[in-house]
Amino acid sequence: MGRRRRLAGAVAEAGAGALPKVIAALSQSLPAGPSPEIFRRAKFDRPEAAPALWQLLFRLLSPQSADGTSASLALEAQACWVKAALRSQGYPRLVLAQLPEDGSRGSRELLLALSWLLARGPLPERLLAQAHVQLGDEMPVCECEALASPGPRAPHVEAEGPVDIRCVQWLMGRLRFRWRCLITSQQEQCALLSKIHLYTRGCHSDQRLGHLSVAETEMLRDPEGGQQLLRRLERENVGLEAALEWRRGELVFWRWMDTVLGACPPEAPAAATQPTVLPRIAGRGLGQLELAARELRALQEELCEAAERRRAAWAARVGGQGRGPQWRSARQALQKAVEQELAALRRAWEQDRGPARPHGPHRLVRREDEAPGGQYLRVAEVIQALRNQEACLEAALHRLQGQCRQELARLAGALPGLIWILPPGR
Amino acid sequence: MLPSGCSRRLVAELQGALDDCAERQLQLEQSLRVSRRLLRAWEPAGILAPEPPLGPETKEEDPSPACTPSPQDLKELELLTQALEKAVRVRKVISKAGERDKAPSLKSGSFATSPGMTASAPTRAPGQAGSCTSEAKPTRGIHQTTVPAKGHPERRLLSAGNRARVGVEARATRPGPGLRDQHVGPSAAPQALEAFTLKEKGRLLQLPAAFRKAASQNSRLWAQLRSAQPRDSTDAAAAAKTQFLQKMQTASGRPGPVLSAVEVEAEVGRLQEACSLLSLRMKEELSAAPTDWTQEYHCLLTLEGLQAVTGQCLHRLQELHAALAEQPVGPCPMERPSRTPPPCGGAADPFWSPQLLLYSSTQELQTLAALRLRVAMLDQQVHLEKVLMAELLPLVSSQEPPSLALCRAVHSLLCEGGERFLTILHDDPADSPPPSPRPQDPVRESPLLPGRS
Repeated sequence: MGRRRRLAGAVAEAGAGALPKVIAALSQSLPAGPSPEIFRRAKFDRPEAAPALWQLLFRLLSPQSADGTSASLALEAQACWVKAALRSQGYPRLVLAQLPEDGSRGSRELLLALSWLLARGPLPERLLAQAHVQLGDEMPVCECEALASPGPRAPHVEAEGPVDIRCVQWLMGRLRFRWRCLITSQQEQCALLSKIHLYTRGCHSDQRLGHLSVAETEMLRDPEGGQQLLRRLERENVGLEAALEWRRGELVFWRWMDTVLGACPPEAPAAATQPTVLPRIAGRGLGQLELAARELRALQEELCEAAERRRAAWAARVGGQGRGPQWRSARQALQKAVEQELAALRRAWEQDRGPARPHGPHRLVRREDEAPGGQYLRVAEVIQALRNQEACLEAALHRLQGQCRQELARLAGALPGLIWILPPGR
Repeated sequence: MLPSGCSRRLVAELQGALDDCAERQLQLEQSLRVSRRLLRAWEPAGILAPEPPLGPETKEEDPSPACTPSPQDLKELELLTQALEKAVRVRKVISKAGERDKAPSLKSGSFATSPGMTASAPTRAPGQAGSCTSEAKPTRGIHQTTVPAKGHPERRLLSAGNRARVGVEARATRPGPGLRDQHVGPSAAPQALEAFTLKEKGRLLQLPAAFRKAASQNSRLWAQLRSAQPRDSTDAAAAAKTQFLQKMQTASGRPGPVLSAVEVEAEVGRLQEACSLLSLRMKEELSAAPTDWTQEYHCLLTLEGLQAVTGQCLHRLQELHAALAEQPVGPCPMERPSRTPPPCGGAADPFWSPQLLLYSSTQELQTLAALRLRVAMLDQQVHLEKVLMAELLPLVSSQEPPSLALCRAVHSLLCEGGERFLTILHDDPADSPPPSPRPQDPVRESPLLPGRS
């Protein structure tokens, strides 16, 4: 009781029960949230609070898809991974990296790490959105989810030793075939979806939707599955209510965390040994970086050549001397114009684009007229956007293939006595 | 044979792409299974899944549609109930055991006549005359049938049975088929009857009330969460959070914010986009034909400017490379996803909001789906092209003398997407005066010599 009064005294506003309530709400809004008692113990760096916090951090940082495989990881492995993940996100404190992975101590540092994650972004909401129970037939309108490399997959058998190029050709062929199969299956699925929507027209209580989705119809067919769905939905509602309560009272939590941070001993600046635990993403990141560097270098060469040619042509034309004041002013005006254009170009990739592009999964609804109220998209618009994207990608692909053709032609030119018959052009 | 490092990387990359496809295919197969099953015949057991509210709901039918039941209707309903009882008894023999277990769980409103089977609550003939007649027809059908095993009569029995067991909302505004305007209590008997198909009876389905409540509560809560965000009162919380982060930074004793791996990745992604935008711009400039000296000068300045910007990007990449390389890499029990999906809207909205996508025909939907897959496939192809270029071109150029088979294979992979192959012929000077080998269009110019190897 005395501890509670001390904590409440440290908090500027609200009664004695506010902090535990807020922490309880936070806990409930997070998946695998520990009890408020754990939080309290962590403030005083009690060792028994450490394992629960390691597990919570692991659950929060690991990707959604890895739930199945990752649940079986031992505490040490989870702790190791959490350290790596936090580090790659830029967690500033080095103390974390030095904590033992068996969960024997360090709960206060883990509490700080948790708060750091919470302060950086709306974590409970994001997790709830990821785990949201999808009731409709969702179709993403952009491909950004799919285009990002997928989550961690089980390390598959890699090629050992040198392979023949024909193996590569074969793999490419298999890939093409799989895409074709995928497209056909997808077409069938769309046809079936469309039928189901048509047949259940008029059943839904929500006027905007008008018909049932596959999930809803399935729930009617299979009541047990329906019960499970209902339970998941209710659990999500509980989490949402907890998140709301957390948002209402989180100021209390931050005031408390200030005291926790204050209770920590100051860190020795630039700890001598940095434990070298980083995920292998550094390797992958380097690969991506090198690809980007290669592209930019190639581009730079092209630009260099082109610019030199034009400069030479220009010099020949003009004779390298100005033609008087009007020429000078015209030149300055042109320079300014070009600078502005380039600045605009820079902005295109440096700044994040506004949320103008439709994004995320949308629920498919079959209707010809407009949906009353709310935000909706028509398929025609999305198709247009996708066609633009398709055109861009095709152009990029052709450009790359053209570059390859030129390069290979150059190499072939070095081989006399051969005739290269290209396949019939498109 | 390719060198082992190169082989490993190429195979890993391609295998990854194959795995992605396989995963998508798996998910699609699952959805297909579910959808196909729904379109076949099934029994909507427990449509009015155990919820007491439905009982009183069906009881208070007086406020509903204006018609009162005619004595003829009630009589017909009695007959219907008897027929259904009989059907159940017959069905007991042939239906699955599991279905029967569900029956007792459904309690009805009024008129429970036998355990495990309830009669319908008083049906209300709808206001329209037409539906009364339609109702009369199936009941006549009942008189005709004794054994519900027959297909066609069973269908009609079923349609009445469906009315008996399916609760339907009465909506005065809906002009829908008359079947809908009746309230009936849950009945276990017709569970035993099969041949409910979505095509014919889909319109009669109704979602259970508990589910509807939970779903509406769900959207309400999400809306509340969304609106709870940019409130002025949370500015105190936002300030507290920023302050906390700063304190964390200073308490750590590190000189300044170090670039995290995540940030590096994000920036590399942006620089990649920069590269494509710059090269697009370059193509535009090169393909434009300047008509007068101002345009020419403009073009020149643009090209030189693009060159400068590219140089800056490269410099930044080198900085990032240095930042990344100094962080030592260690073992890890599980890989982190290397690319968290970049929100294409920029500032990502973490909240779920009900977004609808309206389509009007199957064709539209199929076009959309096909395009989506095409875009994904093209993006994968572009990525693979870059990887292959990086791995194979140096190989070909470094070989002395280059192996023709390799050249041919590489050409096919890089320039034709692996779909077509070129032909290489030896140009033997002994046969005919050889034109200088022009790899670009030999088909037109060179004589087709008999291929040798």
